Amino acid sequence: MSQISVESKPAAKPKKSGSLITRFARQWDIQLMVLPALAMIFVFSYIPMYGVLMAFQDYNIFGGMAESPWVGLKHFKMFFESPEFYTVMRNTIVISLLKFLIGFPAPILLALMLNEIRGMAFKRIVQTVSYLPHFLSWVIVAGFVMSMLSTDNGSLNILMQKLSLIDEPLGFLSIPEYFWTILVTTGVWKEIGFGSIVYLAAIAGVDPHMYEAADMDGASKFRQIFTITLPSIMPVVVIFMILAIGNLLTAGFEDILLLGVNPVLREVSDVIDTYVYRIGIQNTRFSYATAVGLFKAVISVGLLTIANYIARRSGNSLW
Amino acid sequence: MLRKKVWRSSLTVLLAGVLMLTGCSGGSGGSGSTADPEKPGDDGKAGESTSSQFVLGEKQLDFSFYGNYDWYTMPNWGADESSKWIKENKKVNITPVHSGGNAAQKLNTMIASGSLPDVMWMERGPDVEKLRQAGMLVPFDDYLDKYPNLKEWLGEAGINLLRSEDGKLYQFPNWYTSQPNGNAGYVVNKKIYTELGSPKLETTEDMYNYLSMVKEKYPNVVPFEPHLAKDGQGLNVLYTAFGEDVLNSYVGIRGVPEGDKLNSIFTDPAYRESMQYAAKLFREKLMSQDAMTQTADQVKEKVVSGRVAVLASASPTELGQLGHIQLSENDPDAGYFMVMPIHKPGLDPSKIMAGTYTQLGWNVSVITKAAKDPEAIFAFLDWYTGPEGQRIMMWGPEGGYWDGVEEDGKTPKFTDKYTSDAEGLVELQNATINLIWNGNTVYVDQAKAKFESTLPVEQRNWATHWQYEITWKTQGDGTPFINLDPMPDSEEGIIRQRVEDIFLESRAKALYAKNDAEVNAILDKAENDAQSAGYSKLLEYKTVKWQENLQKMQGN
Repeated sequence: MSQISVESKPAAKPKKSGSLITRFARQWDIQLMVLPALAMIFVFSYIPMYGVLMAFQDYNIFGGMAESPWVGLKHFKMFFESPEFYTVMRNTIVISLLKFLIGFPAPILLALMLNEIRGMAFKRIVQTVSYLPHFLSWVIVAGFVMSMLSTDNGSLNILMQKLSLIDEPLGFLSIPEYFWTILVTTGVWKEIGFGSIVYLAAIAGVDPHMYEAADMDGASKFRQIFTITLPSIMPVVVIFMILAIGNLLTAGFEDILLLGVNPVLREVSDVIDTYVYRIGIQNTRFSYATAVGLFKAVISVGLLTIANYIARRSGNSLW
Repeated sequence: MLRKKVWRSSLTVLLAGVLMLTGCSGGSGGSGSTADPEKPGDDGKAGESTSSQFVLGEKQLDFSFYGNYDWYTMPNWGADESSKWIKENKKVNITPVHSGGNAAQKLNTMIASGSLPDVMWMERGPDVEKLRQAGMLVPFDDYLDKYPNLKEWLGEAGINLLRSEDGKLYQFPNWYTSQPNGNAGYVVNKKIYTELGSPKLETTEDMYNYLSMVKEKYPNVVPFEPHLAKDGQGLNVLYTAFGEDVLNSYVGIRGVPEGDKLNSIFTDPAYRESMQYAAKLFREKLMSQDAMTQTADQVKEKVVSGRVAVLASASPTELGQLGHIQLSENDPDAGYFMVMPIHKPGLDPSKIMAGTYTQLGWNVSVITKAAKDPEAIFAFLDWYTGPEGQRIMMWGPEGGYWDGVEEDGKTPKFTDKYTSDAEGLVELQNATINLIWNGNTVYVDQAKAKFESTLPVEQRNWATHWQYEITWKTQGDGTPFINLDPMPDSEEGIIRQRVEDIFLESRAKALYAKNDAEVNAILDKAENDAQSAGYSKLLEYKTVKWQENLQKMQGN
């Protein structure tokens, strides 16, 4: 049985004794602690939601919403009919799927590998070094990447030329075919360490007796990973996967904006978020940008629900 | 198991604590900022000052100032000698409002929350127009005659051009001019040039041959550096080599005048030829291979370390001067110099304009209705753009780099310190340049050039020297082509955004093209895409605006 469901049992027990209100009254001290979080979600996530109404108006920044005319689905129609629609959607889906397929399992793999390291000092160093990049802003990371990949005097080009892998330096950041690879690799490099923390914590919670028993039964290290560690952390993995699927249309913003400066890359780099930024903020078409953003949000909620539905059948759902 | 539970519940408590803290601080921050905006007060002072002249320095003048640029951080007022002098002697104090690296968002937030600063410094065009239509700006017309500097130095035609549709003036220009100025052109590495035997560098062919020689002899040097090519820069300068009296503004407005009509840039023969030339340079590794992706810092590093043979950009004089000073410090034969703009063989070199200037200069300051005493602010801006203000900002308070004025009452008499302490002056100007929002080009250039021309060449300021010798003579007048852009949410505005995307992408692709035919194919496709997005309608709109400008310049 997984950790999470074991934990949830004591809470589920008093269900039979008393109505919802008496149950709430009995836990008032614990419920109180949830209140600030609820209040914050309400204030910062629910109240600003009225802003989505802008998508159905021709919003005028000076008059505010009260004075802006309602135009129905005009902006949505404009987005679906715009020539950018296909490119933007394709890039968003492909980039986020790539990030999901590679970026999601990578921290799990790192956590599993770190867990097998015996030398504590070495493990700590690897952990620290691998999650440091998480704290660097994208501006700095993009600066590193751009100077490393530059054509004139870029380290990667120099290295590859010294190893005689290439004759002429390559313009990595100017070749559309390479962009997705660079983007995903950089993202994984930046977030892998930090992402692995939660899995390491989950692994630390696995009952050591199980490993001892497996050892006695003669299971190899590999076998133990697949039959004990992975199944034990599966609930955590599934929950994070559901959340990741909810974010599938968030292909990234800063990273793409900073690494995809070359206009030649626009065909492969323009995603919903960069498009919204360009149109909404830079060209001040607020209503249109809100409509596109709302469209994205609706799809994301749909994806989240589907993922959760599938996960529920395996018994590890979010709700 | 138990240990884990304890750990978890303590974490929950911690989380709740953090949430409460952030909730509180968020709340207090919010209420603090909503209380801030000061509504324009209808106090007696405003009424009083419209009838009488505001005299700078008589009473304290405080206002807030916002520069609407991502890159702009206003230096603290009073931190340098010049603004300190003004703060003390003219009783003017200016509080900065910063963009925080995200100007568009900051401006929108200030508009939406009704907390505009007193003065905003921004580009002419849709942003200003939007603010004006919403009635958020103060017109200057009543002040123009009372405070004469702007009228004197900008002139009636310039003021007319700046007027909005309602016939009133809302914008105070910066670095406006009535004579050609600007820095666009080609900066050449002196050492490499002499070592290669100082070949002729006049035509595009000379340039191609020279760059090939550089590539062969100096493998680590970038033969041609176009600066940030994704923004045009050196590519736009190259464009001017392929036509007589061709302005690089044509690339900027994405339209080429023919008769009294604007035509497509994609089909313009000069543009096509220039892109073919640029693509050839790029293909043969004669142009920086990072042209489209590099950052300004990377370019600077290359120029300063002498790894660039030819630099072309909209304003190569700053980098050129910096590189020249660095390189010539150790080796008097090293450094940079400028050449006359190159031209396609057969064209008349005297009709090649590497860059453009506009009479209205760069950008504008506007006074918002949030200002308590707009007339006092205008009085300051007008003084600031006048000889006294410009003198103090450019060359410090009297008694340092200058002492007294010539007979004309304007031109400063420069002291020996001006030449002996060039470094100190550069330092001062580096600090004040970002505080000059109403630069008076004609006054500053004339004072500077008049004095510099009396000096021997070695003592001259590098940038001033080449401006005087080359760039000022080779900049075309782009004034008729300003303010052609439609409002972004209008039909033409939506077309413009699409055409903009198509243009930028096609230019980048053309640069990477394998041969001339491919360049043509890319531009043909761009032309088709743009036309189906409604390009011709946009060009019609711009044509009308352009003709309006021409009429305004001829005096309404």
